[in-house]
Amino acid sequence: MIGQSRVAELEMPGAAVEGVSSRPAQSYWNESWERIRANRVGLAAGILILVFALIAIAAPLFSALLTHFLPQTIDLDVTFHPPGKPNWLGTDELGRDTLTRLIWGGRVTLGVAFLTVAISLTVGSYVGMLAGYYGKWVDDILMRLVDTVLAIPAIFLFILMSILFRPNPITLAIIIASVGWGGVARLVRGEVLSVKERDFILATRSIGARDFRLMLRHLLPNVLPVLIVSASLGVGQIILIEAALDFLGLGIQPPTPSWGNMLTNAESYFFHSFWLVIWPGIAIFATVLASNIFGNAIRDAFDPRLKS
Amino acid sequence: MTQPLLEVQDLRTVFTTKDGIVKAVDGVSFELLPGETLGIVGESGCGKSVTALSIMRLQRPGKILGGKVMFKGQDLTRVSEYEMREVRGKEIAMIFQDPMTSLNPVFRVGWQVAEPNRIHQGWDAKKAMTSAVSMLQRVGIPSAASRARDYPHQFSGGMRQRAMIAMGLTTTPQVLIADEPTTALDVTIQAQILDLLRTVNKDFGTATILITHNLGVVAGMCERVIVMYAGKIVEAGPTKDVFANPKHPYTWSLLKSIPRLDEDRHEPLKPIEGLPPSLVDLPSGCAFHPRCSFKVERCSRDVPALLRVGETQLAACWVTQAGTELKGA
Repeated sequence: MIGQSRVAELEMPGAAVEGVSSRPAQSYWNESWERIRANRVGLAAGILILVFALIAIAAPLFSALLTHFLPQTIDLDVTFHPPGKPNWLGTDELGRDTLTRLIWGGRVTLGVAFLTVAISLTVGSYVGMLAGYYGKWVDDILMRLVDTVLAIPAIFLFILMSILFRPNPITLAIIIASVGWGGVARLVRGEVLSVKERDFILATRSIGARDFRLMLRHLLPNVLPVLIVSASLGVGQIILIEAALDFLGLGIQPPTPSWGNMLTNAESYFFHSFWLVIWPGIAIFATVLASNIFGNAIRDAFDPRLKS
Repeated sequence: MTQPLLEVQDLRTVFTTKDGIVKAVDGVSFELLPGETLGIVGESGCGKSVTALSIMRLQRPGKILGGKVMFKGQDLTRVSEYEMREVRGKEIAMIFQDPMTSLNPVFRVGWQVAEPNRIHQGWDAKKAMTSAVSMLQRVGIPSAASRARDYPHQFSGGMRQRAMIAMGLTTTPQVLIADEPTTALDVTIQAQILDLLRTVNKDFGTATILITHNLGVVAGMCERVIVMYAGKIVEAGPTKDVFANPKHPYTWSLLKSIPRLDEDRHEPLKPIEGLPPSLVDLPSGCAFHPRCSFKVERCSRDVPALLRVGETQLAACWVTQAGTELKGA
């Protein structure tokens, strides 16, 4: 794919012009997409995340049509039921269906992860963009703010904020994002600093573009690859943080299931009902691994030079 | 005498560096007449590009310390940023040296050529694109409608520069500043781009400031030429007079240093002795005197003003202002 566009670069005045028009436009995005598609493992990881996300979105559908249980339905007659029928992945100490809780827990866990990433990216890229673009005192103030945020031991901040605001999925996302945006801001700032020195930014300024247009129309798309990579790697990290908080009892509160608090809950029954630990463990493990692999795949696709 | 379109008066632009203050443009004055092509020549770092950028007020991180840029009755160094944006790309357009990096890699070429009209005329995407395509066609892009959908990396250097020129012209500006438009291109493409600029100048009547370090380009393109050295204009005048009979030793040495087809091939080239001065620490008096083979005692003491020498030329040189002819080795 890369070779083809190279050939077209050779301009022969008067010749070879005719064939040119039939060649499809290969954008940066097209080429990156081609490279992702060529990376089987990366693509599989991406599909896994997508499947998990779809299952999570369709959780009510699944529990109604597939498992025929609700996540909070207690049935004390079937406690600690091992995997089998009708509870495919077994039941917990209150007789709740593990598969159903896993699906609903994914909804919470993935929901928190995606929401956190969305908040950190939005805030972080605004701050990084402003700091990198305007420089000088704007940069100083914003980046010292980022330094400050990143200097606070995150886990203590999470614990403190979890105590202050009793966490539901949305407040939990805000709590985790309140630290996460700092890293994104630094990343975006660095990228903006390098992109804004490139000639096309000066050229765009010379046609009378406003700062707003330069930032959103011209700088942002050039920073986007970095953001996408950071988003997909971020999902994994945030799931781990969220699981850790749940495990400490500071995250999503029972009876609402999340993968993290399912683990916490299962801790005491590990020896006689190991499946209660295995399933949420696998779910977390697989999602985090997939998100890391997919993140790396995207990074390689956007910048093939990194992969050697 | 026609009214000048653009009048630069005593423009001074400085850069603050850790080594000191760099006077990149130090008291430059010139005027641009409607429809003419004015050449600005000089070696790298003599302030040509900064002069151009200062006219557009894009000289950041440099600072305009003084002077005026009169355009349509207003001083561009003093108008608000808002008014300046209205001038940029609408009244005065600029083309940059390296077409490989002057287009945004993530947007289609047509989109970028359409952008000035979307900004300044508020045209919708479709209307702006139509005019962009017809402009691409005028600057000689074959099958413009489909090439407009290409990305910059699918264009060759020459085509990108054509696209840049198209982008500059879509708003039919009155002034086009071309900052070394052919330096990054190979020779055959250079000739094509220069041809295009000449056609543009004729067809659109756009007054052009052509910045280059290539004297041959100036000779072929410009009616008048300005020679800059160390941030100052050292000589100005009609191109044919300046080339035939230079009135500043710098111009004289520059012309001497070019190989000529009609001269004896065994004659060694005569480079200008020494190095261009550091702009932080300029020599006293005339900045060129350490390298000048005509210098007199006064040259290291007083800075010469740009005065009329001969019929049509201006020169900043004590020697020629005193009436001495530049001759000899």
